[in-house]
Amino acid sequence: MTLDLSQYLESIRNSARLDQSEETIIMSELEAHIEDKLKELTDAGLSRREAIRECLNQMGNTKSIARQIYEAYSQGSWKQVLLAALPHLLFGLLFVLNWWNHPAWLSIVLIAVLVTAFYGWSHGKPSWIFPWMGYTLVPVFIGGLLLLYLPPGWSFLAAFVYAILAIWWLVRVIVSTVRRDWLFSSLMLLPLPIIIGWYLALSPNGIFSDETLQQLYKFSPWIGFSFMGLALTIAVFIRLRQRWLRVTLLAASGLLTLCLIVYHSTGNVNNLAFLGLLFVLWGGLLIPPLLERRLKNSRIK
Amino acid sequence: MEPKHDLLKGSSNSLLLCLLEHQPMYGYQIVKELESRSQGYFKFKEGTLYPALHRLEKTGLIAGKWEMLPNGRQRRYYLITPKGQAKLAEEKTRWIDFFTAVKLILQPESSSI
Repeated sequence: MTLDLSQYLESIRNSARLDQSEETIIMSELEAHIEDKLKELTDAGLSRREAIRECLNQMGNTKSIARQIYEAYSQGSWKQVLLAALPHLLFGLLFVLNWWNHPAWLSIVLIAVLVTAFYGWSHGKPSWIFPWMGYTLVPVFIGGLLLLYLPPGWSFLAAFVYAILAIWWLVRVIVSTVRRDWLFSSLMLLPLPIIIGWYLALSPNGIFSDETLQQLYKFSPWIGFSFMGLALTIAVFIRLRQRWLRVTLLAASGLLTLCLIVYHSTGNVNNLAFLGLLFVLWGGLLIPPLLERRLKNSRIK
Repeated sequence: MEPKHDLLKGSSNSLLLCLLEHQPMYGYQIVKELESRSQGYFKFKEGTLYPALHRLEKTGLIAGKWEMLPNGRQRRYYLITPKGQAKLAEEKTRWIDFFTAVKLILQPESSSI
């Protein structure tokens, strides 16, 4: 296969963002179609070079084909909707029912998250697995909070080791996800600004005190409802076919939830906390596509 | 004159089901068959056929299966499913009703005779 044809097929492959099995089927079909077409054109008297140019012209624009392929495969089933929304629903229920302070329930949910994430990750990374992956970062977040309670002499060393391990894990998970599709990475990171937002709303100085605990009891149902809102967002995301609609949905839903958190806890949205959370949200949405571009460029080089 | 691909857009599923009604076909064969049976009227960007076929396959209206050719190459043939046949029958009825209604407006004299 010539360079022109390989580049043509590679361009479709990169933009269609399919599962490995789906990708193999459709790319083999396109390749077979191109071979048949080239044979027809060269039999009709065209040179190989002219035949390639004519063939690519008749096949159509790569972006348009890739977009249509993406839309043919992107819509998940209702079973996938349920599986994708489930982690948000579980965390939502923990807070709505005020069960977050029961170690048994909390452990069950965390173990369910870790087991499901590991299962999905090692079984082809289906699209419903990415919301679960986001919650595997919760133990990392809790570990960071626990460092605040170490004796003074240990805190610097522990914070240093923790920061390296946490960043390594975060980067590893994000890079692996971005290789599949940057949008799944944003989907995975979506709860992060919400969790940070609620933590700062309950404890503006960053220290978890008795007062924070009381606030947590008070705001628990609202925290639960914000996770339920995320579950609804994910459900709609899985059913949508168009990519631009999916991006818009994630941005709008994240922004709306942050507005509600900040307004609910401070009485207005015109403050620095909101601005800071907005940066975290846009970071979660913008860093993955930039990282994807960088990974692609380094692969081409 | 209206661009032909706009006409094809709304009816591509019915046309594909109709072509597969009597025999399984592979992508390239479908393009050629569509072109020849419409006497060249339906011409479209050939790469866009595959998303349409896969959409129909995902909804269970057609099924694809690989077949090995004597020269060692593989081809994916598509065949219509019972669900696809039921859908095609429904679509055919709708198209016939539509044509009849359009004809009544475009050629009222001949329709009333």
